[in-house]
Amino acid sequence: MHGIDWVDAGLSGLKIAIVLGAMLSVTPIMVWVERRGSALIQDRPGPNRVGPFGLFQSFADALKFVLKEDMLPAKANKVLYTIAPMFGLIPALTTIAVVPWGRPFLLPGGRLFEPIIANVNIGILLIFALASMGVYGIVMAGWASANKYSLFGGIRASAQMISYELSLTLAAVSALMVAGSLSLTDVVWRQTGSFVLFNTIKLPAWNICSPAMWMSFIVFFVSAFAETNRLPFDFAEADAELVAGYHTEYSSMKFALFFMSEYMAMATMSALITTLYLGGWDVPWYNEPPNAFGFAVSVLAFVVKVSALLFVFVWVRWTIPRLKYDLLMKLGWKVFLPMALGNVVLVAWFIAKGWI
Amino acid sequence: MITFAIFFFFAAVAVIFAAVVVLHRNPVVGALSLVASFFALAVMYVLLEAPFLAALQVIVYAGAIMVLFLFVIMLLNLQHQEEPRTRPVQQFLGYTSSAAFGLALIYYLAKFGVTKLPDGPFVSDARTVGIRMFEAYIFPFEMVSILLLAAIVGALILSGRTGAIPPPTGENKL
Repeated sequence: MHGIDWVDAGLSGLKIAIVLGAMLSVTPIMVWVERRGSALIQDRPGPNRVGPFGLFQSFADALKFVLKEDMLPAKANKVLYTIAPMFGLIPALTTIAVVPWGRPFLLPGGRLFEPIIANVNIGILLIFALASMGVYGIVMAGWASANKYSLFGGIRASAQMISYELSLTLAAVSALMVAGSLSLTDVVWRQTGSFVLFNTIKLPAWNICSPAMWMSFIVFFVSAFAETNRLPFDFAEADAELVAGYHTEYSSMKFALFFMSEYMAMATMSALITTLYLGGWDVPWYNEPPNAFGFAVSVLAFVVKVSALLFVFVWVRWTIPRLKYDLLMKLGWKVFLPMALGNVVLVAWFIAKGWI
Repeated sequence: MITFAIFFFFAAVAVIFAAVVVLHRNPVVGALSLVASFFALAVMYVLLEAPFLAALQVIVYAGAIMVLFLFVIMLLNLQHQEEPRTRPVQQFLGYTSSAAFGLALIYYLAKFGVTKLPDGPFVSDARTVGIRMFEAYIFPFEMVSILLLAAIVGALILSGRTGAIPPPTGENKL
């Protein structure tokens, strides 16, 4: 075996530290955005006592979680009940590794700095593989709690995940066909630059602007809500029907872990939507120079896009009421699946004609 | 060295959880153990430099099929399954035949076992797999899809007797 390149290892460690730090700080920030955002939408003040604009409310919440008693239901399966929250956290933390979050640039010394933790050639398949493991956390929690409502939450979650994973994956297939690669780095590079529509409007070459791709964007975007168990598809929790669904019995830090994985899954999904459809780190109508400045600008663009999408997640939650369960299944199987499949055919036609 | 450590760790995980699937009384624990076993198998594919196969293994088996299994188990609310006592003849036949199968497996693995990858470049990315599947193996591929379609149609006919389901009312329309 050849020796370890210590500079490379150090850079990898730095990248992991940056991304992990960002992912872990998503939860406290998003809790604040969610609570203040819901208050804004419902025309009430919201939490505004702890710190300026209630900014430190999340820290108070975290402290409360740590100090609460950790309950264990008498009939619960102890092992599964304990590992379920951790299981939910693993996919939420790992999938972000294959998402590029900035423009590569040359470091002084001629080394190329690629802002992506793992540039593997199976890229998006790794995301789908790990994300499909996320449902086990919910199902385990629902079953191990030995509670009827929790069990219902778990059953609903598994049915919903299977249904929407199909349309989510098929919608992403369109974007991958355009890029001709499974690697998300290639998907982003394909979307840099711009194209001119009808000889008049100069649009960025993002997938969402392409006439062949907006349908797949809609399918992916809505399925992302179902995959992250957010309203209007939060059937695993459904607090009006199932008390609190799969985490009814959970308290203290175990409950906090579910909370964290929900927000991290949201952040990952937003990053994925950004990468597949909104040009990733690409700044519209601007050619980033391959140096530190271009890198900084591209990272900023990526963060702005992801944050905007995260806000849309909150906005939708407090605006659109929950669907009925049969409508959820109909929407998934009878509307989104044919739409995603049809879009694959459409994109194939565009590629065959040489329009993409 | 690290590769060996990873291999032995995940090989142990795969074998232990496969044993739990067979030995544990609780069907939910069994299904979850099978997921862990599948996941460990996917790591084997990564070690064999076939990450594409590894991803497919996790997506299809661990991610999709096992979720469906769990869904059915939880929907039927299967609890601790008490097997009816088997007769001594059955037990004897079961143990001897599985022992014979195990011995045969060990014998043939020792005789024809492959311990290293064949020489030459080994490519298993999406492009190669796709081209092979739709050129050399197009006929078996189409046969399998017809088989699956037949299974789906059969399941639909068995589960929904025609006329037994009332037509959907207006309020359920999307």
